[in-house]
Amino acid sequence: MINKIIKGPNRIIKWIDDRFPLTSFVKHELTGYPTPRNLSYWWNFGFLAGFVLVLQVVTGIFLAMHYKADVAQSFDSIQHIMRDVNYGWLLRYMHSTGASAFFLVIYIHMARTLYYGSYRAPRELMWWTGQGLLLLLMATAFMGYLLPWGQMSFWGATVITNLFRATPFIGEQVVVWLRGDYTVGDATLTRFFALHFLFPFLIIGAVVVHLVALHTVKSSNPSGIDLAAKDNIPFHPYFTIKDFFGLGVFLLVFSVFVFFIPNSLIEPANNIPANPMVTPNHIVPEWYFLPFYAILRSVPNMVGGVVAMGLSVMMFAFMPFLDRSRIPGGAHFRPIFRVQFYLFLLDMLVLGYIGYIPPTSQSILIGQIATLCYFGSFFVIPFISIAEERWLHKRGLPPEVEALIASEAHELSKFPHRRRKGDIE
Amino acid sequence: MRRLMIKPLVVLMMTTSLAWASEAALENIQVETSVAAVERGADNLMNDCHSCHSLKYIKYRDLVTFGIDKKKIEAWRGDQALDAPLASLMTDDAAMQSFGKVPPDLSLMTRAREGGASYVYAYLLGYYNTPDGVTSNHLFPETKMPDVLGISGTTEPAQRAELQGKAHDIVSFLAWAADPHEEERYRLGYYVIGYLLILTSLLYFVKNQIWSRLK
Repeated sequence: MINKIIKGPNRIIKWIDDRFPLTSFVKHELTGYPTPRNLSYWWNFGFLAGFVLVLQVVTGIFLAMHYKADVAQSFDSIQHIMRDVNYGWLLRYMHSTGASAFFLVIYIHMARTLYYGSYRAPRELMWWTGQGLLLLLMATAFMGYLLPWGQMSFWGATVITNLFRATPFIGEQVVVWLRGDYTVGDATLTRFFALHFLFPFLIIGAVVVHLVALHTVKSSNPSGIDLAAKDNIPFHPYFTIKDFFGLGVFLLVFSVFVFFIPNSLIEPANNIPANPMVTPNHIVPEWYFLPFYAILRSVPNMVGGVVAMGLSVMMFAFMPFLDRSRIPGGAHFRPIFRVQFYLFLLDMLVLGYIGYIPPTSQSILIGQIATLCYFGSFFVIPFISIAEERWLHKRGLPPEVEALIASEAHELSKFPHRRRKGDIE
Repeated sequence: MRRLMIKPLVVLMMTTSLAWASEAALENIQVETSVAAVERGADNLMNDCHSCHSLKYIKYRDLVTFGIDKKKIEAWRGDQALDAPLASLMTDDAAMQSFGKVPPDLSLMTRAREGGASYVYAYLLGYYNTPDGVTSNHLFPETKMPDVLGISGTTEPAQRAELQGKAHDIVSFLAWAADPHEEERYRLGYYVIGYLLILTSLLYFVKNQIWSRLK
């Protein structure tokens, strides 16, 4: 064997490559990773979610250096961060705004998946790991919200931990076990802090699983079919630059909130130290929980409300089973599904508003109707998607859809393992 | 984000549902940020509020740093250390005896109420005399705080205007106390957004440049 003499940095790369698959990894996952060239800007939000995750971890670690998890000191330590720590206000406002940004980005990411049917085969596992990530994110946000130890922190945690009373047989014990005490107190605060620190790392682990699955099945795209090889381009540099441009736009919006209106995302009552003796007039969760909170309040029975709320978050996981349509292009070529998609978003907004306002008999009724619509829109999908597909075929598909289906059939003939049951031979 | 739009609406609904339909909803006031206005507010606050209320997150040194007249600060702090917080002059026990509750700390007052500075302003000026000769407050009828500014007994328009100015200064000081880094935050914000605008437009051009390589 002749060893070629390699000089300079390439020698170091070669030394590493002999011991670790660096070059092949970069090639496989970045410079040679095939990405559909027709991705729209709606495909930027996964990258943005990753960015916000890193931002939250970094700001969070620096905040933890100054924060004190102790009922007598938490509130003061936040003010210490806001007033005395160098750029502490910036760290804290980035972290508190970052929580909202995280949910906004994730909700858009999910809405894109729903609109374009990206949850369909072969990407079910991506959707389900994503669902797991959403649950982890919600748990992390909920526990983090207790840490400033304001009135809304305390009462929010009290109301939500109280819901576990709905657990059959051992409800009382579960609540005490979660709180570490009979009421939300010092034991709750310290454990929420410990878990709020731990969970982001679990999220990072789950994100790795999400990405491994992504790099196995590759990105979905607006056409809804697997594109031919010629329509795929390397991730780097095309999508690295597109993601960075998207990041710039995101940071512009984010900075407006951080520097100019950071308090619009902080409930005024949370600037009053927690007081177990005084209940705020109106306990509201953060905006990102409002639709689910409205569903909880819409069911008169507590156990039923908890089940409905849990189910409302989990309903998304059923989408790969519920949506039976094979029409490519997501909602774009499916007029009925598209209308349903927008009505669902509207319903979420209605639920969010109902969750925000103090309950009146009228708002409860609207909330109940919106809750029925929420679950109803999932239950009708199997029927609508089949009927819609039949109707579209009968009416005659637009030529572009015919072309997509033909192209997909062609691809499938080349890659039989991608074929699904019932595909046209 | 949605809450941004909902909030004013809710404030409006909450305030109008209170039993003072004759009064308008919260007047939206703009606090002043000039050293002069904040100093006047501090002066009023030290005379009218500080005997009962603390501002435990503000130290005398913070007032010096902000640029308030040193002589005034010396007079206020007496023999207390420069790093001492603005503790109230009243003990909690004495407050409990007089009012039945400890007056709240004012450091975060303009952040801790729906409506913010406008709420505190309307509250300070919300005192009035009922026909049975009892002083009450439009915004917060259960309040234990007496009408410190004396707005309820003032009918003369010129005097009322003077009290309004006084309340406005106090609220300006409180707004500064609730968020002493606000000015710095805005200033940095303009730079950050300016920088991001340039960076993002450059990224956009680079993106188009790179994508133009594709056929």
